[in-house]
Parts: sequence; structure tokens; C-alpha cells
Amino acid sequence: MLDERPSTSATVKRTTGSSVFNFIQKLGEPRVVGWIAVAFVLIMWEVVVVAAHLNPIYLPRPTHILIALLAMFKTGDLFSDLLATLGRIFGGFAVALITGTLLGIWMATSERVSAIADNFIAALYPLPKVTLIPLLIIWLGTGGPFMLTISALGAIFPIVINTVLGIRQCDSGLILAARDLGASNRQIISMVLLPSAVPSIFAGVRLGIGVSIILVVAAEMVVGKVGLGARLYLAGQVLETEQVFAVLIVLAILGVVVTKIQDLIDVWLNQWRLS
Amino acid sequence: MEADVVAFDCDDVSLTYSAKSGAPVEALQRVSLRINPRRVTAIIGPSGCGKSTLLLIIRGLLAPSAGRVRFVDAQSGAMASAKPRMATVWQGFNLFPWRTVGENVSFGLEVGGMTHSERAGRARRSLAQVDLSGFESKYPRQLSGGMRQRVGLARALVMEPEVLLLDEPFGALDAQTRLVLQEQLARLVEKSGTTAVLVTHSIEEAILLADTILVMTARPGRIAAEIRVDLPRPRTMATTHLNGYSSLFGQIYGLLRDEVVKAMATEMERA
Ligand SMILES: Nc1ncnc2c1ncn2[C@@H]1O[C@H](COP(=O)(O)OP(=O)(O)OP(=O)(O)O)[C@@H](O)[C@H]1O
Ligand SMILES: [Mg+2]
Repeated sequence: MLDERPSTSATVKRTTGSSVFNFIQKLGEPRVVGWIAVAFVLIMWEVVVVAAHLNPIYLPRPTHILIALLAMFKTGDLFSDLLATLGRIFGGFAVALITGTLLGIWMATSERVSAIADNFIAALYPLPKVTLIPLLIIWLGTGGPFMLTISALGAIFPIVINTVLGIRQCDSGLILAARDLGASNRQIISMVLLPSAVPSIFAGVRLGIGVSIILVVAAEMVVGKVGLGARLYLAGQVLETEQVFAVLIVLAILGVVVTKIQDLIDVWLNQWRLS
Repeated sequence: MEADVVAFDCDDVSLTYSAKSGAPVEALQRVSLRINPRRVTAIIGPSGCGKSTLLLIIRGLLAPSAGRVRFVDAQSGAMASAKPRMATVWQGFNLFPWRTVGENVSFGLEVGGMTHSERAGRARRSLAQVDLSGFESKYPRQLSGGMRQRVGLARALVMEPEVLLLDEPFGALDAQTRLVLQEQLARLVEKSGTTAVLVTHSIEEAILLADTILVMTARPGRIAAEIRVDLPRPRTMATTHLNGYSSLFGQIYGLLRDEVVKAMATEMERA
């Protein structure tokens, strides 16, 4: 930190005088250090695999993984797999968001509904959702409805629970203010309770979308013919380890992109939050 | 079109909050009072004596445990045909943080079904009344406390209330801001001829703004005294140098002192 702030004339001369010094200083920045570490591991990986003559079935070279990844994209296969998986995740997630928010509102505003739903949620929420895959296949088959259901099941619980929490935490003064200004019960729900619960609902969305991703990929591995999970499983079956790694990279990037988008939405939601 | 001049009475209004854990809290005990139309009535009392509760009951947002609120025609004394239009300015501002200043002010018009362009115009005029022109698109968090409460005032005024209920509107503000806003409020109320009920902690504020001052006891709140203020208007800082002012101040302080001590004692007990 300190050496980024040249306060004396001596340091000014030093930093402007030598571009090599500048470069070395940049290398010390935490972000750069992080990337250097990644590059170092990749290079070591490549070197060790080549030097030790490791069988690529166990550990392929990073450069070969990259080539495999590009090749899979070039045929269009990987891209259509990605689209199929994204469609399942976000299709199910959209269903969960709408039904989950509505159910949450209903529960938060009616003690009876809440009493009924609480028991079912208490029974289903702690259950690992992957264990429902066999039952859902028996009921729904392995097509689109099954994939949407498993994806929605992953996201709906955190969304319902956080919607209820958010609405119950609404400042009662705001509800009084709205009533004072003539709002009906309905208008209070849509214009006060719901907007004040949005940050909490979004926290549920964050949790929910993560579970949806896991469930969809797991379900694809079990029964899918297309989709990233199916591609991953097939590649493993025929010992195409380079392709296995390539799919893992796509899944990791998917995770990063989803997280980044959520961070942006968080910033946007926080703009009006009172300090 | 002159609206009916409506006075209202509280008859033996009591309210007990039933607590989920612990003993129920008796906030108000047989409160009877009359609010005269086109006048400013101040309610002053120790903290926790039920002033906000009384205001909620008058507004109809909370049902009393016993007693009732009646709206009567000031001339004939008969029951009024309709409740007057009322609007509240809140102790804690209660602005919607996700709405801009303009959207906050037009909330009441929006739920009433007014078109977008019409309510934008009305909100702008209402904000101009409290000297907040040009702040329509700011969010409440971007404003100072004094500005936030002026938004609260504009949000109530835009409803063109016949009765304006003010719950310690300036309690959270610093002394200077408070003085300016008190003068602003006095002018607005005088000009519009609305009935105003002003809850306050401040004897000075009560004397400067009110025609009648109701002094409440410590919890459970009752009306200890009703005091008329006959000082000339407009009242300014100069008013505080009049003899009438200091004798009123002394009278109210004498009534309040014992009650405040009692209130402090109950608070200590509970803590
Ligand atoms: N919803 C509630 N449930 C239980 N008790 C309450 C509730 N609201 C207020 N009380 C209690 O009732 C009493 C009167 O409250 P109220 O807010 O009306 O007092 P106040 O005179 O407005 O106080 P302050 O001067 O601090 O604003 C207080 O002791 C308070 O703790
Ligand atoms: Mg109060």
C-alpha cells in the first residue's frame, strides 16, 4: 500500500525513472499474485505430466484439455449441451421463483396457510433432493417435465423460506404509513410487503440457484442424453479424460458467471437500502 | 365546495396491549378529549405515555379496547356523515426506502388510482410547498433527517387532508432544523385551515404551534389538563419573550415534571 503512494520526491524519481521497477511493483499486487499462482500450477502440471510420462487417461496435459474443449465447441455438441442444461436450470428456477414467492406471500399473510405449509417444509427441506430422483423418474419419466421438476425442487425451498422471512421482517411503520395513505390489503402486499422483502427473496434465490445447478447436472448424469451432466458421464464411461476436464471447465465458468451476475444484482438492490 | 366542519371526540378511550410474553401493557386509560376543527391541538406527555397509540386510534388504524372516537358536525353536534380525510406524519418518518422522493409523495395518489402524469404534477407542487423542489428523483437515504421529514410532510399534504396528524414530527431533528420546520409548519397549517393534532415532547413547540394543549399523565396515559393558548399569531421566537409565554411554560412544566419523574420510575422498574 505504502509504496503505491510516492510522497517524497525521491520515490517519485525512482518510480518514474525505472519501468523495470514499475513492472516489479505491479507483480506484487494481490490480484496479479493470484493469477501468477494459477499460471504456475498449470505450467507445473504440464511439465510433470510430460516429464513423468503420465497416462493421459489419468491426467491429461492442460494444453490437450484446451484443445479438446475447443474441438467440442467447434462441432457444436458442447454448445447445445450447455444450452440444454441452462434451459433446464433456469426453466425450473423460474417456476420455483414464481410459485415460491406466491406461496411465501400466502404463508406470511395467513397463519393457517403457514401452519399447514410449515409441516411439509419441515419434512421436505432437510431431505437431500437428489434422493428424490428415482421417485420422480417413476412418476414423470426422464424427459422435460422431470428435469424442470427437479430443478424447481432445488430452488423453491430457500425462496419460500426467505420470502416468508423478508415479509415478516417488514417494518410495521411502513405498513401503517401505507394504510394511512389509503392502501388496500392487496396494495399493501404488492407495494409494501413484496418490495421490502426483495433483498431477502434474492438471498433465497442465491441459495436456490446453486442447488438447482447441482440437481440438474446430477439428474443429467443419471438419465440424460443431452446436457453437460450427460456429456460428462459419457466421457467418463469411455475414458475420454480430456473431455471430462473440458466439461468441468465449462461448469466452473457457468458457476462463476452466475455468481458474478448475482453480485451485480446485489449491488443494484442495495442502492436504496437505508444506511 | 366547503367541506363539513368536523370536530371529533374521544369518549373514554382505553387501550391495553396484550403482550405475547409478560404482563399486558395498559397504554391509555379512559382518555376523553375534543379536537376542534381548524385548530391546532398539541398533545404533550412523558415518553411512553401512549401518545402515538392515541394518534393511531384517532386515525382508525388501531381499535380501542374500550370507548370510541366520534366525528361530529361542529355546528349541529350531530354525527358527521363521513369521516374527514386524514393523513399522518410519523415519528420515525416511515418513508418507503425503495421509492424515490417523488414516488413516496405520490404513493397515496397512486393507490387512489390517479394517473401517472397527474400525480407527478401534484407531488411536485407538494414538494415545492416544503421547499424540496428538484429532489423528486432522489432516494430517502440520500437526504438528511430534516429533508426526510419534509418529504413525510409533503406526502401527507398531497392528500389534502382535513385533519393532519403529526406524531413528534421534528423529534429526531437537531434544534436549528427544528425551528425552521416549526415555522414552516405553522405557516402551512394556517394557510390551509386544516385541523391539526400535534404530538410533541417540547413545551416550546406546543406553545408556538397550538391553540389548545392537552397534557397527559405517565402511563397509563390520561388527560391531566387542557390549556388554551391565547398568544397572538404569527408566533415566532419573539413570542418566547412575552410574559404570557413564560407563565404558560411554567404551568405546563409544573404539570409535566411529576409525570416525567413517574415515567422514569416505571421505566427503571421494567429494565
Ligand atoms: N405494539 C405494541 N405492543 C405492546 N406494547 C406496546 C406496543 N406499542 C406500544 N406499546 C407500549 O405502550 C406504551 C405506549 O406506547 P406509545 O408508543 O403510544 O407511547 P408514546 O407516548 O408515543 O412514547 P414516545 O414518547 O416514546 O413516542 C409504551 O409503554 C409502549 O412500550
Ligand atoms: Mg410515540
